[in-house]
Amino acid sequence: MIEYEDVWKAFDVPVLTGVNLRVETGETLSMVGPSGTGKSVLLKTTIELITPDRGSVRIDGETVGTASPRRLQEMRRKVGYVFQYAALFDSMNVFDNVSLGLPEQELKTLPRSEVLRRVCQSLEEVNLDPALVLTKLPAELSGGMRKRVGLARAIVGEPEILLYDEPVTGLDPVNTATVDRLILDIAEHRNVTSIVVTHDIEGALQLSDRVALLDHGKLRFVGTPEEFRSSDDPVVRAFADREAAAAAALKIMEEP
Amino acid sequence: MALLQRLLRGLGRGAVVTAHHAGGIGILLWRIAVATLRGRVALRDVVDQAVEMGVGSLPLVLVTSVLSGVVTSQQGGYQFTGSIPLYVLGSVVASSVVLELGPVMTAFVLIGRVGARITAELGTMQVSEQIDALLSLGRDPVRVLAAPRLLAGILVTPLLVGIANCVGLFAGMVAARLDVGLGYESFLYGARLFWHNWDMFYSLLKATAFGVIIPIISTHMGLRTRGGAEGVGRATTASVVFMIISVLVLDALFPPLFLN
Repeated sequence: MIEYEDVWKAFDVPVLTGVNLRVETGETLSMVGPSGTGKSVLLKTTIELITPDRGSVRIDGETVGTASPRRLQEMRRKVGYVFQYAALFDSMNVFDNVSLGLPEQELKTLPRSEVLRRVCQSLEEVNLDPALVLTKLPAELSGGMRKRVGLARAIVGEPEILLYDEPVTGLDPVNTATVDRLILDIAEHRNVTSIVVTHDIEGALQLSDRVALLDHGKLRFVGTPEEFRSSDDPVVRAFADREAAAAAALKIMEEP
Repeated sequence: MALLQRLLRGLGRGAVVTAHHAGGIGILLWRIAVATLRGRVALRDVVDQAVEMGVGSLPLVLVTSVLSGVVTSQQGGYQFTGSIPLYVLGSVVASSVVLELGPVMTAFVLIGRVGARITAELGTMQVSEQIDALLSLGRDPVRVLAAPRLLAGILVTPLLVGIANCVGLFAGMVAARLDVGLGYESFLYGARLFWHNWDMFYSLLKATAFGVIIPIISTHMGLRTRGGAEGVGRATTASVVFMIISVLVLDALFPPLFLN
């Protein structure tokens, strides 16, 4: 379970202004909202990649911000993080990149054949052929493949929590559907708690148990996909259907 | 009055920025020391960095050291001919190369070739979230990225300076023979005449100090890079400026501290 309690963060201007949210174990929550409203910042506070100015984040009841460096590393190992642009290490091939997702101690003690087996298993789980990609450098992969390698790296260590930062941004519709399907499969088969920051509303509504809408640093809506679709809130409406979004965009453009 | 205010404000801002960087570098050094003393730095990473720094920089170090020796010898020869016994040229070349030119020219080569690369490399990793990725995977970037670079710098810089000193001296000796006809034995006689064994130790001590500040400044600047490709460019430029100034300031501090 992940709990955000009154989380505040500012970078010159306020980004998060008191976010309270609870994500239950095994739940998949999608976080949507306009660009620059702090979705990725909130995600990064989960494992202290960004420290909140105020408030706290708890994983399974344990406050992340007050953990010792060693404990924080252990807590981070429970979490798999999929970065917006995959954040693969340029100088390492796919095998080395994915194997980094294993705990350091296991990497030192496990036989190389076992590491290889687990890396290949993760790659297959994200629909990549290990024989084709294992020795390739990130620069030799397409955007969709890089995202999937990033996903393989996040799941190889068998995390209990998966955090996705815009996993389908920049992908074509086919790759978007593939990644959405993978997120759903992983959540079902591994019973992980997932938070997906996304702009892909359709995908979010399909794969989530709940949807949260962050607007101007505050949570404006949290509810099931059905509740999201039927909400009367104009901001939620603008996200829920294209016509409302077009009307909202027109209104913004017409403003002096 | 307004000019004075602006000047004081500028100085104040400069002092704050310098203190901020000094604090950051101090913390980074402390964390590297702790990681190293706890044996948590992979030897393979240190060796990889040392090879990259040392082998990669050697050709340029050889070129600069040959030219330093030759130029010092030529200028000395020009000034001494007809006024001072020419064997003194051996002493001038030896002192100039070992005390000053060898360490400083090598440091400048390392700033351009290694320091700038480290800042750009780590800066790119920072802005492309690779540093965050390392943290999320339970790895400490200080231990994995910063410590191997600093340890490699400490190991490699004195070695390169030692080589630069020998090559510079030899080049100066050959240049003295070709330029003013000073025989090798006379050159070596002059070099030995005012030689102190401490000079070589001083040279290597200076090299070690440069071997600390070049990787530590470049790593610090790289890890605090913000703002995409433009930010990487800004950080790299600032890093090179800081490294050059630091090397020159340290170079000026060394004689009163260690030669008196």
